[in-house]
Amino acid sequence: MTSLVSARNVSKSFGSVRAVDDVSFDIDKGKIMGLIGPNGAGKTTLLKAVLGLTDCEGTLSVLGLDPFRRRKELMQNVCFIADVAVLPRWIRVNQLLDFVESVHPRFSRARATELLARTKIVPQARIRELSKGMVTQLHLSIITAVDAKLLVLDEPTIGLDIIFRKEFYGNLLNDYFDKERTILITTHQVEEIENLLTDVMFINDGRLVLHASMDALPERYVELMTSGENAERARQLNPIFERDVFGKKVLTFEGVGRDQLHGLGELRTPGIADLFVAKVKGAAA
Amino acid sequence: MIGNQVALIKRELWEHRAIYVTPLVIALIVSIMAITGQAVVSAFDQAVDIAILGATNLGAAERAAAITVLMTGVSSLLVMGMWVLTVFYSLDALYAERKDRSILFWRSLPCTDSETVNSKLLTAAIVIPLITFAVIVLTHLVVLALASIWLGIQGANAWHLIWRAAPLTSNWTATLVFLLALQLWLSPFIGWFLFVSAFTRRSPLLVAFLPIVILPMLEKSLIGTSLFLDAFFVRTASLPLFRGLTTGEIFTYQGDEWSFGDQVPSGLLSLLDLPRFFGSPSLWLGLIVCGLLTTAAIYVRRYRDDS
Repeated sequence: MTSLVSARNVSKSFGSVRAVDDVSFDIDKGKIMGLIGPNGAGKTTLLKAVLGLTDCEGTLSVLGLDPFRRRKELMQNVCFIADVAVLPRWIRVNQLLDFVESVHPRFSRARATELLARTKIVPQARIRELSKGMVTQLHLSIITAVDAKLLVLDEPTIGLDIIFRKEFYGNLLNDYFDKERTILITTHQVEEIENLLTDVMFINDGRLVLHASMDALPERYVELMTSGENAERARQLNPIFERDVFGKKVLTFEGVGRDQLHGLGELRTPGIADLFVAKVKGAAA
Repeated sequence: MIGNQVALIKRELWEHRAIYVTPLVIALIVSIMAITGQAVVSAFDQAVDIAILGATNLGAAERAAAITVLMTGVSSLLVMGMWVLTVFYSLDALYAERKDRSILFWRSLPCTDSETVNSKLLTAAIVIPLITFAVIVLTHLVVLALASIWLGIQGANAWHLIWRAAPLTSNWTATLVFLLALQLWLSPFIGWFLFVSAFTRRSPLLVAFLPIVILPMLEKSLIGTSLFLDAFFVRTASLPLFRGLTTGEIFTYQGDEWSFGDQVPSGLLSLLDLPRFFGSPSLWLGLIVCGLLTTAAIYVRRYRDDS
């Protein structure tokens, strides 16, 4: 596996606030990495550093380039959707395609036109005349038509209704993704992307609190739903977090074998959202 | 690199349609004024002979001068329009994309910040004057055509009186040189406006003009000098592009009457003094200031993190 993104001790401060604090990770080719964290955790700052939009301390390499110093070269192979509202509102769809075609060596106009033909977007329309969902469709079509190695999505579906959100991720997987391409994505709607991800990172207060492949999660983490005496016995095994669900106790364990918990209650692999809460709140407790 | 520059400048024309709409609107107004102006003149009857273009009793040199004056009057309106446009365009160039957050999209494409800011500088310094020039030529043709129609109605020979007399090539060449020279001469202002539009969080117009009002007042009250104001006025009021012209060159005094001399320069081109312009240290100083401010604007666009 080749490492597409490599971060070593990356930090970024705004005044006295450390938005990203000594973060190290690698993202390999062909992965879909979810970056999960609460508001203000440093997600966007980290993405901006990866995209070369902001300077940072430490060593950061994306496709073998220093992103901040070689942003132009980087952007030939990296695509980026910040959120739905960043396409210029005054531009027409065909002007936008003209522009991307002239500045982007890896953009296929034919492919973009083909993708847009499936939507209700007309080439003469101005962006301001399109609905939020259509703007996102347009942006994704453009990006899908770029033969890029890395796609960075920062809350790409915020403010969209459920139909557009489902369609967005459907198109992302069917039209964009293949084993040669890599996706780095942040979102609050964790449940919707959970099944897409191959890898996940949790970030809180600027620090990485988890970095794992989705396949490794069932081995490392287990959730036990139980009550009464069994709960008491399970607590001896040092759960990282405990919560109440319908009068029952749900305990989350890290690095505890399923055989050890066998017979104490119902076992399952925690969902990303629950695991995130367990890691963040458990660490705070 | 060049391909990017062309695409980026095209983008400026899509976004700022005022760049060609403004001169076209002024041209339309001037053309309408020309029609009504001719109507008024023709109402006086040809005996009154106040229409400079229809003044058949003038000699060729005087007619050429009269037409040049008319053309210059038309141009000057469009030049004023060009500068209002340049001010508003430069102040908006790096501000609008931050205001509507589309900067995040533009920066997701393989264009450097220098390429982007340079395209805006080139638009203000070269594209705007070139478009203004094209519209000026168009307006001249319309106005002269209207005058020709009027002359034709009066039974005069417009081809002879206007088109053969008018030093068109000389006037147009001089106009083009003047427009480009004006942008070079005023380039420190363009640089300043671009810089303001790159850094200000709100009201670029106010932020750009407030220092021009406040600095001279501070200088006067603190140091007692008015160097800033002097520099400002020298810059705005005296473009060192023209050679001096004495009254004697235009008029001669014979008997007790003034009349047009033989040495009347035909066309505006002979009034320009390019060696003087390019030899002026103020020009180069201004270009350096413009370069520094543009570099500062690139730096701000690159390093600023608005989130």
